Amino acid sequence: MLHYESTVREPLVNGSKDYHQVTEDIISPLEKKPGKLWWIALGFALTMLLFGVWSVFWETYWGIGVWGENRTVGWAWDITNFVWWVGIGHAGTLISAILLLFRQGWRTGVNRAAEAMTIFAVLCAGQFPVWHMGRVWLAFFILPYPNSRGPLWVNFNSPLLWDVFAVSTYLTVSILFWYSGLIPDVATIRDRAKKKFAKWFYGICSFGWRGTAKEWQRLEALALLLAGLSTPLVLSVHSVVSMDFATSVIPGWHETIFPPYFVAGAIFSGFAMVQTLLILTRKILHLEDYVTLGHIEAMNKIIMLTGGIVAMAYITELFIAWYSNVVYEQGAFWWRIFGPYWWAYIILITCNVVSPQLFWFKKLRRNIPFTFVMSIVVNIGMWFERFVIIVLSLYHDFMPSAWVYYSPRWPELGFYIGTFGLFFTCYLIFAKYFPVIAVWEIRSVLKRSGESYKQQMVAIEQKTTEEFMQEVQHEHAVAAH
Amino acid sequence: MSEKKYWKGLEELYNTPSYQKTVRNEFREELPFGEIDELMKAKTPRRDFLKYLGFSITAATIAASCEIQVRKVIPYVNKPVDITPGVPNYYASTYVQDGDYCPVVVKTREGRPIKIEGNTSSSITRGGTSAMVQASVLSLYDTARLRYPMIEGKEATWEELDKAVTQGLANLGGAPIVLLTTTLMSPATEQLIQEFSQKYPGTRHITYDAVSYAGMLLANEASYGKRAIPSYHFEHAKAIVSLGADFLGTWLSPVEFASQYAQTRKIKGKKADLSQHIQFESYMSLTGANADYRYTHRPSQLPVIVLNLYNAVAQAMGKPQLANVPALNEEALQKGIQRAAKLLASHPGEALVVCGSNNPQIQILVNGINEMLGAGGKTIDWNAPVNYRKGIDADMQQLVADMEAGKIGALLIYGANPVYDYYDGQRFANALKKVALTVSFNERRDETTVLCRYVAPDHHYLESWGDAEPKTGYYSFIQPTIFPLFKTRAFQESLMAWMGNPQPDWHAYLMKFWEPKLGGLEAWEQALQNGVIEPQQSNLAGLPFKGDVQAAAAQLLANQPKPGELELVLYEKVGIRGGRWANNPWLQEMPDPISKCTWDNYVCISPALAWKLGISINRFNENDLNRPVARIAAGGKEVSLPVLVLPGMPKDVVAVAVGYGRSAEVGKAAGGVGKNAYPWVSLNAQNQTFEYYQPAVSLTLTGETYPLAITQTHNSFEGRPIILETTQRQYNEDPGEATREQREERERYGGENYATQGTLYPNIFDFPGLKWGMSIDLNSCIGCGACTIACQAENNVAVVGKDQVLAHHEMHWIRIDRYFSGDPENPQVVFQPMLCQQCDNAPCENVCPVAATNHSDEGLNQMVYNRCIGTRYCMNNCPYKVRRFNWRDWQGADSFADNLKDTADMNSDLTRMVLNPDVTVRGRGVMEKCSFCVQRLQDAKLAAKKAGRPLLDGEAMTACQQACPTQAIVFGNVHDAGAAISQIREENKDTRLYYVLDDLHTLPNVNYLVKVVNKDPEDFYVEPVQHVL
Repeated sequence: MLHYESTVREPLVNGSKDYHQVTEDIISPLEKKPGKLWWIALGFALTMLLFGVWSVFWETYWGIGVWGENRTVGWAWDITNFVWWVGIGHAGTLISAILLLFRQGWRTGVNRAAEAMTIFAVLCAGQFPVWHMGRVWLAFFILPYPNSRGPLWVNFNSPLLWDVFAVSTYLTVSILFWYSGLIPDVATIRDRAKKKFAKWFYGICSFGWRGTAKEWQRLEALALLLAGLSTPLVLSVHSVVSMDFATSVIPGWHETIFPPYFVAGAIFSGFAMVQTLLILTRKILHLEDYVTLGHIEAMNKIIMLTGGIVAMAYITELFIAWYSNVVYEQGAFWWRIFGPYWWAYIILITCNVVSPQLFWFKKLRRNIPFTFVMSIVVNIGMWFERFVIIVLSLYHDFMPSAWVYYSPRWPELGFYIGTFGLFFTCYLIFAKYFPVIAVWEIRSVLKRSGESYKQQMVAIEQKTTEEFMQEVQHEHAVAAH
Repeated sequence: MSEKKYWKGLEELYNTPSYQKTVRNEFREELPFGEIDELMKAKTPRRDFLKYLGFSITAATIAASCEIQVRKVIPYVNKPVDITPGVPNYYASTYVQDGDYCPVVVKTREGRPIKIEGNTSSSITRGGTSAMVQASVLSLYDTARLRYPMIEGKEATWEELDKAVTQGLANLGGAPIVLLTTTLMSPATEQLIQEFSQKYPGTRHITYDAVSYAGMLLANEASYGKRAIPSYHFEHAKAIVSLGADFLGTWLSPVEFASQYAQTRKIKGKKADLSQHIQFESYMSLTGANADYRYTHRPSQLPVIVLNLYNAVAQAMGKPQLANVPALNEEALQKGIQRAAKLLASHPGEALVVCGSNNPQIQILVNGINEMLGAGGKTIDWNAPVNYRKGIDADMQQLVADMEAGKIGALLIYGANPVYDYYDGQRFANALKKVALTVSFNERRDETTVLCRYVAPDHHYLESWGDAEPKTGYYSFIQPTIFPLFKTRAFQESLMAWMGNPQPDWHAYLMKFWEPKLGGLEAWEQALQNGVIEPQQSNLAGLPFKGDVQAAAAQLLANQPKPGELELVLYEKVGIRGGRWANNPWLQEMPDPISKCTWDNYVCISPALAWKLGISINRFNENDLNRPVARIAAGGKEVSLPVLVLPGMPKDVVAVAVGYGRSAEVGKAAGGVGKNAYPWVSLNAQNQTFEYYQPAVSLTLTGETYPLAITQTHNSFEGRPIILETTQRQYNEDPGEATREQREERERYGGENYATQGTLYPNIFDFPGLKWGMSIDLNSCIGCGACTIACQAENNVAVVGKDQVLAHHEMHWIRIDRYFSGDPENPQVVFQPMLCQQCDNAPCENVCPVAATNHSDEGLNQMVYNRCIGTRYCMNNCPYKVRRFNWRDWQGADSFADNLKDTADMNSDLTRMVLNPDVTVRGRGVMEKCSFCVQRLQDAKLAAKKAGRPLLDGEAMTACQQACPTQAIVFGNVHDAGAAISQIREENKDTRLYYVLDDLHTLPNVNYLVKVVNKDPEDFYVEPVQHVL
């Protein structure tokens, strides 16, 4: 009776499963040799990665001038992609930290993949601020380390420096969170492993996990602690990223609403990315029982909510520009919408404001192909949001004499494609050799929220209170005997 | 003695069995000799390891150090007296080329000329320079310069050349020698040419100017009996009417005129009393852009305009009018004529009319107008006629005819390049083949030189001795600032050699010429040091006018050009002019003051014509630099050129700049850039003068596009308060009106204490000592761009090449923003030099993560190149967009090898000699921007410190300030109440002083002064284009 959950609530695990079955379902695909599809996918990802490496090499060797950036638009695809990738990461942390604190059981099905996505996304994001530097070999100047140049310290006033701290902290905590959760499952794989290498490898990776009560207790405590630590990070990282813009003087950047606006946007895009990945993963690894329609719908609801917040931010921006009566502010937004890059703004509004409204229909929320398409649409929209903020604010700012257009060149595209390569390479390796669904966490909700267990409750729920009480008392009496 | 027992441990005290065992077996373990043995027997024992380590590190060190390029700095064995490394020397000299004149002071470092400044001792240019003069130092180091004499295209020695030429000259069999030059103004050279003609009787000296002023010369001969051009004094004119003369940009002596003109445009105090300037023209010139009123017309209309203006002035002054003058059928032009006549007639003795036409009859009429206005002796000075242009077009045509007829024995070409710039260059080239002996003295393999049998290259002027007489009674001297870089020889020495002088010495000749005139060696040296000798006082005088205006008018009317539906006008660009220095990358990359286009010529058309052709340049595509190409056919010649839609062009005129389309041999920067427009120069059969327009033109779009490297694509300032303008009347009624809004805004946030009160973070820096400030007077700035090039020369600003300008990667630290307002067919123009504003609360400074840009206690916004990692955040956050990023390795200062981006030969060892050693050459990936010429400030401070006194005002000058011909830029220490900058700020604080984007609280150290236009407010009123949501 301890684990009673109403049958009205959708089950989180479909089918009739026991603990062993869960393990079988999730772990056994890892023990097989990689299939043809996997190799093709990996080859594709590696090709993209290699192209990215070549693009970055090209840019580093010849200079940033091989990009389309110019004297007026000093940041474009580089920082757009940075913010986009960082934003994507946010869903993972939100799921693992905030939903854990809120005791949302449905997070168990998606948290592992989402956390992995976070880490890979942040890794991708980190490439951009590094390689967009004119003199990347001096990138270490950005670290506050004791030195013999005075000593010469970094500029603690610069939001770019705050970025360094925010993103590196975020990456560290995310890795800790993800990996500590992974340990019991790795230990499970180790215990099942038959090959010597797998035994050795997973043995090392599992840090000697034995599954004692003490270990479980400590793991839970650690998870709670890290959740507490990451919760502010969910809000702070993208707030800090937004301050790159908000603390500047450029109209279209200098906005006080940026931190919440960026955080909402990040979660919006992050959940869309989780959808994209999980819809593919559940299909390929046959994990439909664990990532159910209920999960997908729950995430679609979050996408709708955050999409609404983002839309509100767009309207606020426009209103304030008009209300401020500042000619530069008004000009920035006028040129954003009616300037030569008008189509970028149209894409942004279509993808981020108009299309998520379709999720008001429950049918569409629970429609997997539709959700998949929407998840990509949202991420296109969010990419354009950053592009609009960065490029469309810079290209027509204070001095009309300096106004330009910006078009990317191949090394910028290549760099972006390369980060996709990096992301998918990491994700494919992860999905092949590590459980994409947290086995132990699924087990923890199985008997409360599993479909077969819930079905046993139907009979009980049909009873009247009196019958039920009588039965319980009876059973207690029998037990007392 | 008590048996006191000391014990080391409890084991010893209790004497446990284990302890006993330990005592028994003190050395109970085997010594580990075995392991040592193993170690000693190892393949690489410890000592060997150290040996190997030592060897490999040493070897690696040596190997690595072999790779490093060794650059030797060799000290002087005997140090020259005047050259101290690190200390510049200055020499007065003179820029003289094709009749352009500018007295200069040349800065040399370690024996290399690196910077040109104007000579302030000259009353002609008053220390001003032009972009071309500023850039001339780079031409000294041009890799395409000829390095040795040549015979038939092959290297020769001077002895061989002299022998061959002397023999050739001796065997001409009576056929005359012709010396073909551009305008020369050297008295000593002229004497030498006289001597040469005595040696070779029958020698003719023909002066040929590609952009000719023969019309003026002939008209003046007819009007005043002198085939000369008088001095003009715009500074005495209150009424200026220019009929197509671009006197601020390209006409005759723009530096001189700009300086004079600016004196009439300065405002002292609260009462403005400006000259009024009315311009009639057929294209958008720099002068037209600065005019108070501007009227456009087809070039074929000019005769009628002049005639009408003559009559209108005559009517207003009560003088006899010309008969049979047809009326102008355009209302705007009629109004313009009326306005001009009224203006001129109300300013007798203070009026000046100039005309850019090369038609003698038109110029006679202009002389007639000036005569009515009493300009002679007031604004026109015949006491000091100028020697700027002397070419008579008919002489040149006669020469070509004679050459074709085989009548010319030898042709010696000095400076001229007719194969390129003669209207029928091909004919000249063919005629050249019929001349037995051809010699070119030109400094590069230009279009004419390649066809000459002998090439005897002259020095660059910075390697030369010389003299000049720009105006009668005004003398100017040229002295070498460097030993000739190549095996070149002064043109004069070549002449002397061919006159039979075995040891030609032009320097000695020059001294011999001048010493007696000046009164001895000391006077000569003094003259060299000063650079110029000028009359103590000059009395302006006119000449009696004896021109026949009636006859001129009759002739004009009889030969009225047939007006075309679409007409073509040729013009000179301010940077490239006639094309002489087309291979100068600084000039090629200088944005044209009006079109803001670099690296090309193009056909300028009006927005109305563009509309008709279906070209629409609007806010969506103005940034697309791929512009349509048009085929332009006129006078039987067809050329395809990109189209540039330029507000201010008359709707039925197209304009093309000359000076482009040079051959590849002219140099890497010039070769293949643009198209040659000289073939469109036509001949006025009646006068035998060149006309720079074509009356019948057809323009058809080819459907292709061509990229034009334009640096400013948005032409409107959108009514934003970055530009503040007003009219003279409004200013005199309420001098503070234009800046009131800004002052009131400041008042709201602390007024005088705006710096600390206008912010939430009042931790503004303290400036205990000096504080630098700059003031730019928008009323004086004519937008000529001399500052841009001066800055480029002073600060080693990189040339990026056309493809990189197209990518908006240009590097200029100071740019001239040019904004149009009002009617697109005839807009008002305002120029705004924009450079780093050295903000005291700089947005760039707080965003740099590594503190590479920071503030000095003198108010400078500093760039620390070594610290910069190139995040470009500062550039984004600069509201003035004046920061420049090193997108590529422009100057070979990068950590990576072989990734140089150099399209214009700027990185050869030769060209790099122009670099200023006081300024770091920036590497790829770092940000840069205007430093207020911090190296000059340090120099000036050091000099003052050594002298033990405070810095005086004017000792520290920025390069842009020094180059400016109109003194629009004032710079100095704002803490010095007596300094010019402080006085200007004090004087204008309630009137014209404003800061750009003041409300951002950036606290700039550069202020601007409101532009005041001498225009009626109703004509000036411009509907501001302001976009709202």
